[in-house]
Amino acid sequence: MAVFDTPEEAFGVLRPVCVQLTKTQTVENVERLQAQLQAVSDSALQELQQYILFPLRFTLKAPGPKRERLIQSVVECLTFVLSSTCVKEQELLQELFSELSACLYSPNSQKPAAVSEELKLAVIQGLSTLMHSAYGDILVTFYEPSILPRLGFAVSLLLGLAEQEKSKQIKIAALKCLQVLLFQCDCEDHPRSLDELEQKQLGDLFAAFLPGISTALTRVITGDFKQGHSIVVSSLQIFYKTVGFVMADEQLRRLSKVQAKPAVEHRVAELMVHREADWVKNTSDKLTILIKKIIECVSVHPHWKVRLELIDLVEALLVKCSQSLVESAGPLLKALVSLVNDESSEVQAHCSKALRHFADQKVVVGNRAFADILSENLHSLATSLPRLMNSQDDQGKFSTLSLLLGYLKLLGPRVNFVLNSVSHLQRLSKALIQVLELDVADIKVVEERRWNSGHLSASPRTSAAGPRRQIQRRYFRFFTDERVFLLLRQVCQLLGFYGNLYLLVDHFLELYHESVVYRKQAAMILNELVAGAAGLEVENLHEKHTETSPEELREIVTSILEEYTSQENWYLVTCIKAEEMGEELTVKQSGLQAITSGAHTCQVSSFLAFSNPSPTICSMNSNIWQICIQLEGIGHFAYALGKDFRLLLMSALYPVLEKAGDQTLLISQAAASAMMDICHACGYDSLQHLINQNSDYLVNGISLNLRHLSLHPHTPKVLEVMLQNSDASLLPLVADVVQDVLATLDQFYDKRATSFVSVLHALLAALARWFPDTGNLGQLREQSVGEEGSHLSQRLATLEEGLENTTTAEDIEQFLLNYLKEKDVADGNVSDFDNEEGLGCTGSVCGSSTVPQEPAPSLGSSDLALTRAPTHQR
Amino acid sequence: MTMEQESTPSDVPGGDCTPTRMAAPPPPDPQFVLRGTQSAVHALHFCGGAQGQGHPLLLSGSLSGLVHIWSLQTRRAVATLDGHEGQCVTWLQTLPQGHQLLSQGRDLKLCLWDLAEGRNAVVDSVRLESIGFCRGSVLARGHQHWTLAVPGRGSDEVQILEMPSKTSVCTLKPEADAKPGMPMCLELWQANSSPRPLLLAGYEDGSVALWDVSERKVCSRIACHTEPVMALDFDSQKARGVSGSAEKALAVWSLDEQQALQALRTQELTNPGIADVKIRPDRKILATAGWDHRIRVFHWWTMKPLAVLAFHSATVHCVAFATDGLLAAGSRDQRISVWSLYPRT
Repeated sequence: MAVFDTPEEAFGVLRPVCVQLTKTQTVENVERLQAQLQAVSDSALQELQQYILFPLRFTLKAPGPKRERLIQSVVECLTFVLSSTCVKEQELLQELFSELSACLYSPNSQKPAAVSEELKLAVIQGLSTLMHSAYGDILVTFYEPSILPRLGFAVSLLLGLAEQEKSKQIKIAALKCLQVLLFQCDCEDHPRSLDELEQKQLGDLFAAFLPGISTALTRVITGDFKQGHSIVVSSLQIFYKTVGFVMADEQLRRLSKVQAKPAVEHRVAELMVHREADWVKNTSDKLTILIKKIIECVSVHPHWKVRLELIDLVEALLVKCSQSLVESAGPLLKALVSLVNDESSEVQAHCSKALRHFADQKVVVGNRAFADILSENLHSLATSLPRLMNSQDDQGKFSTLSLLLGYLKLLGPRVNFVLNSVSHLQRLSKALIQVLELDVADIKVVEERRWNSGHLSASPRTSAAGPRRQIQRRYFRFFTDERVFLLLRQVCQLLGFYGNLYLLVDHFLELYHESVVYRKQAAMILNELVAGAAGLEVENLHEKHTETSPEELREIVTSILEEYTSQENWYLVTCIKAEEMGEELTVKQSGLQAITSGAHTCQVSSFLAFSNPSPTICSMNSNIWQICIQLEGIGHFAYALGKDFRLLLMSALYPVLEKAGDQTLLISQAAASAMMDICHACGYDSLQHLINQNSDYLVNGISLNLRHLSLHPHTPKVLEVMLQNSDASLLPLVADVVQDVLATLDQFYDKRATSFVSVLHALLAALARWFPDTGNLGQLREQSVGEEGSHLSQRLATLEEGLENTTTAEDIEQFLLNYLKEKDVADGNVSDFDNEEGLGCTGSVCGSSTVPQEPAPSLGSSDLALTRAPTHQR
Repeated sequence: MTMEQESTPSDVPGGDCTPTRMAAPPPPDPQFVLRGTQSAVHALHFCGGAQGQGHPLLLSGSLSGLVHIWSLQTRRAVATLDGHEGQCVTWLQTLPQGHQLLSQGRDLKLCLWDLAEGRNAVVDSVRLESIGFCRGSVLARGHQHWTLAVPGRGSDEVQILEMPSKTSVCTLKPEADAKPGMPMCLELWQANSSPRPLLLAGYEDGSVALWDVSERKVCSRIACHTEPVMALDFDSQKARGVSGSAEKALAVWSLDEQQALQALRTQELTNPGIADVKIRPDRKILATAGWDHRIRVFHWWTMKPLAVLAFHSATVHCVAFATDGLLAAGSRDQRISVWSLYPRT
């Protein structure tokens, strides 16, 4: 296309079209002009600006009704000219501004004229382009008091469009244009920053629009969620930029000094606002209402970008208007805090950044420190928390807990001010305990059994399981949303991280003791407190915060652990064992009937549970969960202490291993996962490694518990598991325990034979595994200096020699029967023969399994000492 | 082995493992048991937190000549000292500085070990003349300066050495007509009022004698037992001592201002044979190691029997108290049981 570079050439081309347009104002003529303009260079156009604008403005100003189409094309053409040129004269700017605004003027109503959407859009764009094309100097002088009525008209026009139009495009254009008008445009055309005086001028001017702008925008913002997020985002932006500009503390501070009224004509002076103290107070009150509305609506807005913008709003207003909007500071902070835990990671990150900024800068809002407001808010939240947890639905609980979490994050170490108040701590803990109540009515918990008593060593899942495995799914009475549980855990972790751990642990241990109704919840909370205290999964916003020292933590964990594994909290009734209704039970009932009757959920049966020794399903359920929670806690503690936990293994490993063999599926699962946690935390490669390295601690527990077998019926099982998982280095440690087992077997011959025989079987299997060929037996003999050791190895030697011989179960059975018969005859005790058959059977159970096949011929009578002849007759 | 049941009351709030709601509490359990000496335990000694990382240690000497150093924190052996050529270690004692250990073995050697900063080397040794079971005794006499009493060359002699110079100070030999037999146990001490070291010695004939070491004479002597005195311990504040012998009784005796020993009473036991007797540092209770596998605990002032601790399955050879009150017992069954009894509040 031919380009006309010089004004002269361009003039030659444009003149006919301009003249034509001035004569007859038709759409075609306008279009012809625009077509010609395309070919004119910008510099030429600038020279001819006034000349070209004339016919266009003439068309707009010409009296009489005009077709919309014509106006639209004129405005579009005008916009085109303005976009390529600069407006250099103040007068032209003002006139064009009025003429463009007037296009949408309808004399009869407040609303924008009922014209086509295209025209509206064209006018909006025209205005926007005009403001952009004005020279910087001119633009500043444009905003003089006398423009107030015209500017006001344009602003209300745009607000009306933004609020009432259906077309999203128009709405957005109107909002953009408004931004430009209010000097908020962030495009590169306005690089100039305003000096103090100019700011004041503009502030005074815009103050007049503040009520209109803020209310209209609030309406837009709190409107239908479906209107699209970008509209809300722009509205929010204009809102906080305008409020932040007009109500800026910096400007207001200066204003009180300068009282001179600008010399303007009366009509305009009436419209002018002087931002004196009263006005600020009034406006701030009204704005507070609007801000609350906005926060209420936006903080739950489904679109994350809107929530993101809210953070900017809060930040801008708190930074710029902390004095003038002091009343809003509380709600603003609350909004910010509640977004800390937003589901969108962008919002979360931005929010954390803003909060960290506030916390670091020690921002003072009004006369009060930021922290004071926060702790006040936390106080009041703590007060109402029990009620809220009681009455709210899952969504409500979620947002309340998010808020709580936010306060805790922000206050950091200062949460102690709240915790140190007894009544607040009580309310907080009451709420937590209450909401964490488990639903223990599920019968499956009791029903599910671990049928295969196979060894845990069979599943080396070490590599697959990352740190901090998934915790068991729990069912709560008062909520179902998993996110609520997650939040509760985070709340507890943060409390543990920032709070006074001694105070908290004491408090919750007290609750743990106080009633079985609280026990499970208190244990859950204690678990998370410790995890938090160790800084696991906690993001620290406060750099100066000193974490609990490892020694202190170990001390605390030790005391909790002692509590968890104590006789009355660890050995709970989880199933009805018919086979144990023997005399042992009498001991059990007096001492250990810790059927803790989950009375709170099974009111009907609770009375029965107390009077009747047979526990209810609910109470057993509750007991199962308690044990699971405590096991999970032990896993947490291991992570919290890391390698330091190794020292606690001497008291923790035995109980956990014991539960790993529990019949109840949930318990054995929880125990297995606790073992894995311990493995990871303490740096053991595998469960075998863990057990093997700590077999001395286990042996200690086993030998002590064997002394009280009626209280610890599962001890033989633990020994069995240990034997299955250890290597030959265990032998010196285990010798005396084997002696103990044999002694105890004598004592509980008729009741415990099965479990002991399986231990002895495990021992033999282990011996066969540790010393696979006879060559090693010599070493073994040297190793075991003691009498028992060598005795054992002698037996073993005879055992090993016979290994090549294939012996059938029948052979063994026959051998045993013969042996017993002979022994009875020797003792002159033939009448007791029937009793002995019992042993014969258990003996065959032992012998018929796969590993070491006891060879009948080589077994001398001394070798049978391993399976000990019955001594109960003595 | 048949064992006569003790009639002594066993209502001890032993350790921390007594379920409170039980009608009759089960017999107390050890707090923990140390395994792995692989040989009978003949000597025990607690060593305060001065060494290593500041955690208390327990030293044990075994029949196989090894000294095991146990950490009471981890309950595991942290080191093993081998300096007695496979001969039984009968006596262990750390010197007041805490880094030095004396071990007496039946290889006729008394070794001085340096344990500072994880070292475990013999820095000095004393040749012993007597092969008996008599344990030595040591008395600190100022910084880096201590007196040692060990059985002497003659079967009835006690040799007094100045350490660390190893110079022999004197030999305490009973008068010719006394014929007390071999010394079986020694206890060097010093009254608060006087700097003169005194030695209490229990003899084979069942008598206990008080020697004034500097004058090399017997101040006083009483026949406490009819069997050899196996062990004695002395409470210098109350000027009262206790001795155990192969017979079925403990003897309690006192020392008056004239340094004369006076028999106070005897405490009958169910089974004969006391291998060791120790008074707890707070002088509230005492413990005995019995040949009958039992550890017995008595109230030190009244001698009221408080507990019979049945855990070991063989003769208990030695008992020891830590400064914090923990009790350890070593037995021929190769185990060391550690008990927390009447923990101080």
